[in-house]
Amino acid sequence: MDFNYTPSELMAAAGAREIKDREVVAVGLGLPVVASFLAKQTHAPHMTMLFELGVIDSEPVHAGVGLADPRVWYRAKVLSSFVDILGSILHKGRVDVGFLGGLETDQYGNLNTTLVGDPRGEFRHMVGSGGANDIASSAKRNILIMRHDARKLKKTISFVTSPGYVTGGDSRTKAGLSGGPSRVITDKAIFGFHPETKQMMVISIHPGNTIEDVVGTMGFAPVVPQQVPYTEPPEKEQLRLIREVIDPRKMYMG
Amino acid sequence: MEKLTTLTEAVASIPSGSHVALPGFPITRCAMAFAREAIRQGIKGLTLSQCVGAMDGDMLVGAGAVERLIYGGGSLDRFGRLNCVNRGIEDGSLQAEEYSSLSVAFRYLAGSLGLPFMPIRSLQGSDLLRRIQEHTGSDVANITDPFTGENWLVLKPLLPDVSVLVVHTADAEGNAWIMGPRWDNVEQAKASKRTIIIAEHIVSTETIRQQAERTVIPGLLVSHVVELPFAAHPTSVYREYDYDAKEIEKYVKATSTPESFKAYLDEYVYGVKDHWEYLEKVGGMKHLNTLKADPILGY
Repeated sequence: MDFNYTPSELMAAAGAREIKDREVVAVGLGLPVVASFLAKQTHAPHMTMLFELGVIDSEPVHAGVGLADPRVWYRAKVLSSFVDILGSILHKGRVDVGFLGGLETDQYGNLNTTLVGDPRGEFRHMVGSGGANDIASSAKRNILIMRHDARKLKKTISFVTSPGYVTGGDSRTKAGLSGGPSRVITDKAIFGFHPETKQMMVISIHPGNTIEDVVGTMGFAPVVPQQVPYTEPPEKEQLRLIREVIDPRKMYMG
Repeated sequence: MEKLTTLTEAVASIPSGSHVALPGFPITRCAMAFAREAIRQGIKGLTLSQCVGAMDGDMLVGAGAVERLIYGGGSLDRFGRLNCVNRGIEDGSLQAEEYSSLSVAFRYLAGSLGLPFMPIRSLQGSDLLRRIQEHTGSDVANITDPFTGENWLVLKPLLPDVSVLVVHTADAEGNAWIMGPRWDNVEQAKASKRTIIIAEHIVSTETIRQQAERTVIPGLLVSHVVELPFAAHPTSVYREYDYDAKEIEKYVKATSTPESFKAYLDEYVYGVKDHWEYLEKVGGMKHLNTLKADPILGY
């Protein structure tokens, strides 16, 4: 087995595989950007990539510091507005996949990007929602990308910025939302959600890890099926694209 | 009435306690010259709104000019967090009402169309909604769709007293062109009672007429027009100039404590007479010229 790739590269490749050709994808910054460009340059050339501020299908030649960097807008097909992207495309129901990162998530895929600590006592305020809550609420499915750490995969998160399956079962539907998270990709494993209870469920573990490595470093117990395969490692061509074309200066992959 | 005026006059038209919609998106097209002048003039008690919190809002909060902030979260991208806004939220000195990008945009959109409220799918099932209900009570509600019987969350319109926009090109009437993405700027201007246009370039109305499809802000919305190059510095203006990484890093470092930010304000805001002295202070034409955008790349 070839271990000659970083966990971030595997996460990006796994994220890319979740996107089908011709899908419309709303993307936050960081690893989701790499995964989306990777999908577009391999098996999904007809996908549409959206950035919330009003950017469709840009083709950056320089890595940017964030969505507010014109480097990220280069060669876009559309430059418009929040109401255009998050309103008439996302809220209208035309986004297939939302791609989100965060500070913390719980077993139902609820995402916190707002604060760490006790919201009624001592806390540190972070970024907040931006378009994350909108994407989590209106995309047909969402993919979450997180570091695998008990401080990030928690039983109870400090703040629900973007809802997943809320309190499990049919609580998301009761809150007036369809869709929901389909995958959580960490640097140790890929998770889905149990069809009825909506608890996080191990789908595959990354080569080099054991199931104990995965479950022992989480703040809650995921559903573990009897047979858990290994995650497919990134292909040579995917690695080449990540390293040479998409993120040569390691702006996104860290 | 002659709209073309100075930044000083335009800022002086805003009474303390006004609701100002700000144009910035983290580190791009922020109303930085406006913020510095508002701080120099001692404007206080502002309500600020913007879909994504940016450097213009953070500076005004850090200078003590803001009582209330209505926003959808924000940062300075990779440069750092909104230290002044975050500190205000953490110590309770800032009344922050935190939404998502689209929910603030829809509140402007409702305002821009003269609608009484706007239904939205976002916020439901989140702590954002719970917090907004606790803090404001009256800005969100639930309603039954009269056609389907479905339950919808609805948002109250935002109706700012004044929208401040940093644009590329405008004429003396305020007919304005914005190149690149416009995020919430058009809905902000249309929802507001009036708009102050700060333009990199002032051109003749004849020039505007030649490519009128570029006009995203009609002059009838505009009360003041100011010609001010590098008005967004140290943030960027697409196709005009890049962000000034060194100066943004300086800002982020300075905002890490109230004391160091006070020293920053003393040097870059109170310590200069106006925008022109500020531009000299950060390196003048020689330095600013290095930030000029490549016409193909746009940065």
